[in-house]
Amino acid sequence: MLKKIKLFGQRNKQLLGMLVAIAGMIVVLSLTVENFVTWANITNLLAQVAPIAIMAAGVTFVLITGGMDISCPAVMAASSVIGVAFMTSFEVITGVHLVIGCIILLLAGAFFGLINGAAIAKLKMVPLVVTLSMMTVATGLATVVGGGVGLPVLPSSFSNFFNKYTVIGMLIVIPAILDFILTGTSFGRKVYYIGNKEETARVSGINTDNIILTVYVIAGVCAALAGIINTASLATARATMGPQGQILDIISAAVIGGVAVNGGRGRVRDAVLGAFLIVGINNVMNLLGVSDYYTTLIKGSIIIFAMGISSFKNYYLARKAA
Amino acid sequence: MEKKLSLQLNNISKTFPGVKALSDVSFTANPGEVLGVVGVNGAGKSTMMNILGGLLQPDKGGSIVINGENVKIKNPKEAEELGIAFIQQEVQVFDTLNVFENVLASDFNKWTKGKTPFLNKKDMKAEVKKHLDALDCRIDLEAPAYSLTVGEKQMIQIARALSQGGQILLFDEPTASLSDHETAKLFEIINNLKVQGYIIFYISHYLDEIFELCDRVLALRDGNKTGEAPVVELSKEQLVNFMLGHLVEGAERKDARDKDEIVMKAQNISGIKFPKDVSFDLHRGEILGVWGLLGSGRSELFNTLLGIDKKTDGKVLFGKDGKLEEVTHKQLYKHVGYLTEGRHHDGLFLDMPISKNITSSVIGRFASKLLGILNTKKENEESRTLMKQVNVKAVDENMIVSKLSGGNQQKVIISKWFLKNPDILFMDEPTKGVDVGAKTEIQNLIFEKSENGMSFVVISSELEEIMNICDRIIVIAEGKLVGEVNREEFSKEALMAGIVKQEENDEN
Repeated sequence: MLKKIKLFGQRNKQLLGMLVAIAGMIVVLSLTVENFVTWANITNLLAQVAPIAIMAAGVTFVLITGGMDISCPAVMAASSVIGVAFMTSFEVITGVHLVIGCIILLLAGAFFGLINGAAIAKLKMVPLVVTLSMMTVATGLATVVGGGVGLPVLPSSFSNFFNKYTVIGMLIVIPAILDFILTGTSFGRKVYYIGNKEETARVSGINTDNIILTVYVIAGVCAALAGIINTASLATARATMGPQGQILDIISAAVIGGVAVNGGRGRVRDAVLGAFLIVGINNVMNLLGVSDYYTTLIKGSIIIFAMGISSFKNYYLARKAA
Repeated sequence: MEKKLSLQLNNISKTFPGVKALSDVSFTANPGEVLGVVGVNGAGKSTMMNILGGLLQPDKGGSIVINGENVKIKNPKEAEELGIAFIQQEVQVFDTLNVFENVLASDFNKWTKGKTPFLNKKDMKAEVKKHLDALDCRIDLEAPAYSLTVGEKQMIQIARALSQGGQILLFDEPTASLSDHETAKLFEIINNLKVQGYIIFYISHYLDEIFELCDRVLALRDGNKTGEAPVVELSKEQLVNFMLGHLVEGAERKDARDKDEIVMKAQNISGIKFPKDVSFDLHRGEILGVWGLLGSGRSELFNTLLGIDKKTDGKVLFGKDGKLEEVTHKQLYKHVGYLTEGRHHDGLFLDMPISKNITSSVIGRFASKLLGILNTKKENEESRTLMKQVNVKAVDENMIVSKLSGGNQQKVIISKWFLKNPDILFMDEPTKGVDVGAKTEIQNLIFEKSENGMSFVVISSELEEIMNICDRIIVIAEGKLVGEVNREEFSKEALMAGIVKQEENDEN
């Protein structure tokens, strides 16, 4: 048993490191902020983490194949606006409309992902360029569909259904499913194969194009799921709900979680914990009254530091092996 | 050489945690002779060379004596100062710099105009020309390195070693990526350097090269010196015995092909550049060799046939019980395996464990039908079975592949395809960079599988190997099929005949 725990520790150093960091953060917060450890406060925080965590989970798939998707926040906003535009196009909005609207919202996310994936996997375009273009296209689309005055407000039943407890449920269930897909199924294994060496994967008879296409669709659907959560908390959707700067939080969450930016390594579970850290840092700064300028500065430094540690680890391992 | 060079190693040992990589190795290298160093992977050759190169420190107790002086080589810089220079297996040049800049790349500081940062190109060229002339090598000093052949790039490396004042030259498998012609040229140069009084080490897996080039040979096994003798006194069997500690038993090829049953028929296969209009049949249980000079389009034939490169014309027929049907490359790929030439490029997932590498060809077989949930326990079990069958030497199936030796890595790829158990296995240079022991094992595995009905298509640059294992050889030159030789008629002349004819046709 003890041996097993030790082995688990060796294989999950990143996980343990992050758990320690999160625990440390909680300790600091409960000491410095009054009434931090209250049920309402903790559940609010968790609900706040959910959209970032779910998008980070989707991006993890893309990153592990060695790709990049920076269009998530924009896709999130665009699919939300499309879904909400459908829902609010009726005189009397019933539950059926809301359900169909959510399906349309998810399909829109999948569609944006499909376009990203097709351009990258089939046309062999550069991921960064494709998703950068998608970011502006989706933002533009959201602005156009959303209109100048903004979309009407949704009936309160929508926000009531996606209340913070539902959202916390989503935060647990969705990443858990995605983590299992990545680590426990043949599809997930193929994602790792591709990230490790795409050429070898192709020679091994794996249909690399389809897998790469699929991971971008997953990222798109995850963005749409985050869109549902954000829509519920806003009670409507607008182009600005996915600020472009948010992509930095998403990618950093994955990177701090140990997902390799050049592919082959990482887990959804760890990326989600990374999201906890990132959102946590944002909140700490906020609560301590640090100005926004410093917040971005400190966040950027933390990311460089985290990446530095993993690079240094590789360097050290290489040195040791030589 | 003004003063007499000498190099002596006394009782050199090197202990890594848990392993004694070298124990009490002593020898003397004399100027004017080529000293061959042989041993299977992991025998300690690299460790010894790294000690000489200053990358590793030997254990206390031994000594290295150069020109009569006891020396300690603490780092690569000191090795360079002592005149020790490496010529690596992988040719390392800066592609966009030109020849003379490449040769002097490591010490630009010496070639500035006075104290200014500008380079004195005239002097540099004169210096480089001096060394290249000594090598009897006529390449344009201004030519950018990317325009050179691999052989010419190797010359740059040698010139670089000489310009740094290298007197003890360590060649580490220099011919691995050279054509026959370039190899001959390299040997000429090494012999030339030998006459000039340099000390030359030559490491190679190709025993033929050792016999052709070296004067004396030093054999290592498990870190021990197991033999040292002038080459003329050795037979090939003795040398292999030094390396392995026993004689290798290569199985005799028993022709297992079922001449009536054709499994695959390639008709008029053409690709973008190569191949051009190639047709051939493959029988069940047959080992078909594909032979041609480097750059003749052998690998391209495989890639085009299997749909990795674009096929512009032709069709492939495949059938399990003699009924041939035209198939797309995707359909064909379900029934074939492909061991590529570039082990590290597209053969392995280097950072993944052995088991995941082995199962990668048939990962679907380990997944549940509906949700694709993987059964890792079964994966590990089957990987272990194959590791045993193919004799992969590793701690366990979770070992990361990049930590294995070349021969064992190759065996991992072979395990991967044996697990798939395809009807046809394409192999491009299956024993490249693999030591003698593993080579024979791989050949025996090919024989065994072919007797069970697997067909093989094998590319090899080594004439002896291909004639040893194949039932039939087709010859490729400039992407075209120029000859076909059956086992009874195997000879170098018979294989070359087609190529010679092709060249004559071109001239007319």
